[in-house]
Amino acid sequence: MEIINIDNASYYYKAYNDDGTVGRAVGVENVTLSIEEGSFVALVGHNGCGKSTLAKLLNGLLVPASGKVTVCGMDTSDKNNIFEIRKNVGMVFQNPDNQMVASIVEEDVAFGPENLGVPQPQIVQRVNDALAQVGMSEYAKRSPHRLSGGQKQRIAIAGALAIQPKVLVLDESTAMLDPMGRREVLQVAHQLNRGGMTVILITHFMEEVLDCDSVAVMDGGTVVATGTPMQIFDNGTLLNRVGLRAPRTVELAHLLKNAGWNVTPDCVDARTLGGEVCLNLDQIK
Amino acid sequence: MFRDVTFGQYYPADSFVHKMDARIKLVLSLLFMVGIFFVVSYVGFAVITLYLLVVIALARVPLKSVLKSVKGIIFLLLLTAIINVFFTKGAGEPLLSWWKIEIYTEGLIFASKMLLRLTYLVIGSSILTLTTTPVDLTHAVESLLKPLRVIKFPVHEFALIMSLTLSFIPSLMEETDRIIRAQKARGADFDTGGLVKRAKAFVPILIPLLVGGFRRADELANAMNSRCYEGATKRTRMRKMRLGWRDAVASVIVVVLFAAIFTVYGMQSAWGGIIWLYY
Repeated sequence: MEIINIDNASYYYKAYNDDGTVGRAVGVENVTLSIEEGSFVALVGHNGCGKSTLAKLLNGLLVPASGKVTVCGMDTSDKNNIFEIRKNVGMVFQNPDNQMVASIVEEDVAFGPENLGVPQPQIVQRVNDALAQVGMSEYAKRSPHRLSGGQKQRIAIAGALAIQPKVLVLDESTAMLDPMGRREVLQVAHQLNRGGMTVILITHFMEEVLDCDSVAVMDGGTVVATGTPMQIFDNGTLLNRVGLRAPRTVELAHLLKNAGWNVTPDCVDARTLGGEVCLNLDQIK
Repeated sequence: MFRDVTFGQYYPADSFVHKMDARIKLVLSLLFMVGIFFVVSYVGFAVITLYLLVVIALARVPLKSVLKSVKGIIFLLLLTAIINVFFTKGAGEPLLSWWKIEIYTEGLIFASKMLLRLTYLVIGSSILTLTTTPVDLTHAVESLLKPLRVIKFPVHEFALIMSLTLSFIPSLMEETDRIIRAQKARGADFDTGGLVKRAKAFVPILIPLLVGGFRRADELANAMNSRCYEGATKRTRMRKMRLGWRDAVASVIVVVLFAAIFTVYGMQSAWGGIIWLYY
């Protein structure tokens, strides 16, 4: 079942021309995309390709200038729907420090349900559940600014989960993290997805795309390709054109395959690829 | 550079004072702050010292973090003390006289008491912020200011702004530190030259800080909107404020203590205290 539908949506930012007149800059233009309930979708693209604008269209932070965005059957341009939409689409942003509203972890997580007017005993329940889901229960009483980047982002995810959304949007949430933090956040995202959550992962790290169900590639404000990760990785000309690159292991596996080695071309794990290469050694001799 | 400022920094612990209701803590702290200006004798100060030590012990806050807050305003304290020493005229002969400067015994006594009073004022307020999370503190302010809603005062928004400000202090300080280091790495000089030159050297720090502040505010607004924020309407609270036996015990003790102080020293000295504060 389709949970989010983007139908020919465009959004423009105000921009000042050199002569001082007001013009417009493309945020996104004529984007059409459909997201299935329960899927794990990656949105990739170079800086300034419109990924984050698209993300903000998903929960009504921005409303398309033309076209339509529908979430769970509700039009985001209708002001009456806005809170119902935001209840369904949890959003986590790039900078963990700039999305904390409280100075204690559990109080930050409680912010969403408090806004929704959830009765007090249920807020406690929701906060505990959300923190358990991201594996941060033991940090409930701590101050977030002493935690690592990955931990802070997990708190931010918990904050989104406490609203009990159907869709979780990670808007470059891994961009500022170290490899360890990125792994933590992705693990949580995949685990939530296995539990039925629709996840939209916005990123420019191609390795993060590997385990997704489908990938949408953006360039210049439009979606230029959609497909499974392998279909996208195989399309070298497309990736080149938009300034992206398949993960190194995939590139290597492809080269080896083309050179006549017996390896799986879609191999993404360096260790597995190494094993396969070793098995090939006898043949080469 | 700014690591020493503890104001607004919560020290997590599981203590008698931490478990008290924030509203009671706020009111008792205010009572303390007023009361301290009634105290004029050293015996009184000894009692207050004892009181503060007991509270700090009950709060299980290390003495070091309490004293840190005093360190932050030590310059102001010394300045006040020095001014008081020089400008208080006594009745008898001056203790020390040189050129136009005359120091009287009264001046010394007065300055020492002023120093104690201001120090205790800072310690008292830092105990409050060390044992109360900014969120609890804002809830307390919001709850205590509720009557002002009658005159359309935006109580909830006021409390929220207060809490956001407090929770952004650490990250703003980190950012200031980072910008200063970045500018130093590019050869900026903050340590030499006259006052004007040094002040000008701070412009390249303030501008990125200001721009960063706007960006931060924008991102925070987006994050809050995404989490269904729509002002005070129908908002509930996770933390229930409940008065317990601790609040009753503490209130009785503190009120009795300060009632005694008010009776002993009387109204007159209080007026004196307030006037001194202005000097």
